[in-house]
Amino acid sequence: MMQAAWRAFLRGLGAPLRLWRGSLLTRTVGITVTLSGIAVTVIGGYMSLTIADSLFTGRSDQILSETARAATTAQSLFDNSVTPAGTIDVETANTAAQTAIRSAQSSPGGSGFAILRTPGQITAQTMTSTSTAGLDLSVVTTELRSRVVADPDQIHYQSVLVTVQGEQRPGLVSAASLQVPSAGQYELYLIYDLVDVQNTLTLIQQTLIAGSLALVLTIGVVTFFVVRLAIGPVRRAAQTAERLAQGFLEERLFEKGEDVIAVLARSFNKMADSMQSQIVKLATLSQVQQRFVSDVSHELRTPLTTIRLAGDVLYEQRESFSSENSRTLELLITQIERFEIMLTDLLEMSRYDAGAVALEVDEVNLVALVEDCLDQLSPLATQKGSNLVVEVRGGYGESEVDQRRIRRIILNFVGNAIDHGEGRPIVTFVDSNEDAVAIAVRDWGVGMTPDQVERVFDRFWRADPSRQRTTGGTGLGLAIASEDALAHGGRIDVWSEKGEGSCFRLTIPRAPLAEWRDSPLPLPPESDTIDSYLAEEDSTKGALA
Amino acid sequence: MTARILVVDDDVSLAEMISIVLRGEGYIPHQAFDGQDALAQIPEVKPDLVLLDVMLPGLDGIEVCTRIREFSGVPIIMLTAKGDTTDVVKGLESGADDYVVKPFNPKELVARIRTRLRPSSEGANSVISVGDITIDVPAHEVRRGEDRINLTPLEFDLLLALALKPQQVFTREMLLEQVWGYHYKADTRLVNVHVQRLRAKVEIDPDNPLIVQTVRGVGYRAGESVGQADSDS
Repeated sequence: MMQAAWRAFLRGLGAPLRLWRGSLLTRTVGITVTLSGIAVTVIGGYMSLTIADSLFTGRSDQILSETARAATTAQSLFDNSVTPAGTIDVETANTAAQTAIRSAQSSPGGSGFAILRTPGQITAQTMTSTSTAGLDLSVVTTELRSRVVADPDQIHYQSVLVTVQGEQRPGLVSAASLQVPSAGQYELYLIYDLVDVQNTLTLIQQTLIAGSLALVLTIGVVTFFVVRLAIGPVRRAAQTAERLAQGFLEERLFEKGEDVIAVLARSFNKMADSMQSQIVKLATLSQVQQRFVSDVSHELRTPLTTIRLAGDVLYEQRESFSSENSRTLELLITQIERFEIMLTDLLEMSRYDAGAVALEVDEVNLVALVEDCLDQLSPLATQKGSNLVVEVRGGYGESEVDQRRIRRIILNFVGNAIDHGEGRPIVTFVDSNEDAVAIAVRDWGVGMTPDQVERVFDRFWRADPSRQRTTGGTGLGLAIASEDALAHGGRIDVWSEKGEGSCFRLTIPRAPLAEWRDSPLPLPPESDTIDSYLAEEDSTKGALA
Repeated sequence: MTARILVVDDDVSLAEMISIVLRGEGYIPHQAFDGQDALAQIPEVKPDLVLLDVMLPGLDGIEVCTRIREFSGVPIIMLTAKGDTTDVVKGLESGADDYVVKPFNPKELVARIRTRLRPSSEGANSVISVGDITIDVPAHEVRRGEDRINLTPLEFDLLLALALKPQQVFTREMLLEQVWGYHYKADTRLVNVHVQRLRAKVEIDPDNPLIVQTVRGVGYRAGESVGQADSDS
C-alpha cells in the first residue's frame, strides 16, 4: 500500500521532473527566478526593517522631546504656583499644568495624558490624579511606572497597544516625573497613537512586496527570452546533428554574424563537411571493395569452371589411364574442389568485411537441420570411428534463421569435432528458452590450451598444423561461423581443456537481432548418454588389449 | 533429333570446354563470344537452348536475355558467378528459365539442360481449360477465346503443371521438382519470378490473379475453369 502510494507520488512528480531535466530553458528560468527571489526578499526585508526603525525613531524622538517640554512646563508651573508665603493651591496649579500639557502635546496621534500620584508617599497635601477623559489607563504598565519612580530624572517610554474606537493600534507611552511642592512626586504620562506611522510603514511594505514580485517576474520573463535567444541556435545545432546522424549528410547550420553562435555554426559546418567527405570516401572505398570482390569472384570462377569441367571430363575417362596418371588426376580433382571451397570462403569473408551481407531468413526447425547435418557428416564420422549422438532438450519449434548460414556453422562445429575428436563419440545438443536457441557440439578429443582457445576464431589459424585434415577446412571456418552468428545477433562460445575435449556453443535469438539474455545450454552441457558410450568404448579397448 | 545449343561466353576457353562437354553428351554446340554475336546467330542456328553468361562485354547477359525474349521463347539457362546477389533475380526477370552458378560440374550442367529440353506434358493429350483460357496440349497453344497467348516452353510447362491438377495446391518446392527438375532444395525465387512472368501474360489483371492463384503460406494453384462449355463445343 505504502509502496503503491509512493510510486503514484513519484509518477505524479515524474512530469515536472522530466520537464526540469529535459528543458534547459525551464531549469535556467527556474534557477534565476528562485535566486533573484531570495535576493529581493533579503534586500526588501532589510529595507523594510530599516525604514520601520527610522520611522519609529523619528517619531519617538519627537514624542520624547514633546514629553520633556510638557514636563518642564508643568514643573515650572507647579514651582511658580508657590506663594511667597510658601503655600500652594495644588488644584489650581494642576488645572494650569493640565492646560499647558494639553497644548504641549501637539504632535499627531497624541491621544491623551495622565498625571498620576506616585504611590507610597506621605505629604502635606494631596493633589488629585487626573487623566484625559476616556483614556484607558491600563496602557500605563506597572513596569513603566516603576521605571519612572526608580529614575525620576529621565524621560521613559514604552511601546504599547492602544485601543482607539474599538480597534487596537500600536502606540507609545512616554513618561516623566513631576515634583509638586508640598504634594510630593507625581508621574506624567503622555499616550500617543502611532497608527499613522504604522499606516506609512504598511504602505511602504506593500509597495516593496509588489515591487519585488514585479521585479522577480520581470527577471523571469527576461531570462526566458534571453535563454531562448541563446539556446535557439544550440537547439538548431542539436537538431541538425540529429539529422546528420540519421544520414542526411547535406544538412548544415545557417551561419550569420560574428558572435560565438556564428563561430559555433561555422565550426559545426566545418565538422559536418569533413565528416561527410570522410563518410563518402569510406563509402566509396567500401563500394570499390565490393566491386573488387564481385570482379574477383567472376574472374576467378570462370577459369576455375573451365578447369573443373576439364578435370571432370578427364575423370570420366580415368579407366583408360595408367594408375599413376589416374592418381594424379584424382589429386588434381580433390585440389580443385579444395580451391573452390577456399574461394567460396574467402569471398564470404570479404563480403562480411565489406558489410555486404544480408540474411535470407526462413522458418527453420533446428532439430531437423541438426539431424540433416549429422546425416551429411556421418560417413566421415564413421571413417574416423566417431559416433554422432544428438541430445535434443528443446528447440522443436520453428526459429527464424538463415538456414544456409546456420547449416554452415553446424557443419563446421561437427566437422572440427570429428577432426579433433580422436574417434570418440561426439554429442550435439539442441535446446531453447523463450528468447534464444542454442546448439552445442561436444567432443572428448584432444582439446585445447587456453592460449589456443583464444586464437580459435583467428583467420587461417590452426591448432595443430601437422594434424591431418579430412574435412577440407580452409582455416576460415570458425571466423565465418562467428560472423554468421553475429549477423543473426547471436554468439559462439568455446569451452576447451587439453586432453578433456572441446565444446562449441552457438546461441542465437529466435528471430534475427532480437534481444536475448541467457543461452539455453550451459557450457559445456552435461551429457546424459555419453557415459554409456564412453564405457562401451573403454570396454572394447580393454577387450582388444 | 539432336539438340543445338548456343553457348554464349566471352571466355573462349570456357566456351570451348563447355562445347566439349556438350558434344560428349551428344548435343551440337555453337559458340558466340559476345551479346551482338549471340543475337545475330540465333536466327541462323535456331538453337534449342541458349547457355548465356551474365557478364558479357558490351551488351550484358541480362540485356541479351531481354532482347532474345522479344522474338523467341527458346529456353535460356544463365551462367552466373554470383549465386546470392540480385543478378540472379534480374536474370530471371529478364526471361531466363534457370541458372547455374559457376563453378559448376558437368553433371549439374547437363542435368539442367536435359530438363529444359525434355518434351513436356506427355501425359495429357487433350484440351484443358483454366479460368477463361484454354490449353491445347498437343498443339502447345494457349488461347483466351480466339486470341493466342505466346508462352515460352517453361511458362507453358508451369501453367500446365498447375492446370493438370486443378484441385491441388502446389508448393514452390513441388513446382521446382516438376517443372525445373530439381530433386533437392533449390532457389524458390525461380518459381516466384516465373509465376510473375506467367501472370503478366495470362492474367487480365496481374495484380488480381484468377488463373494462377496464390495460396498464402503454401504456394500456388490453378483457377477454376469458367469456359468448359465453350471448349467442348
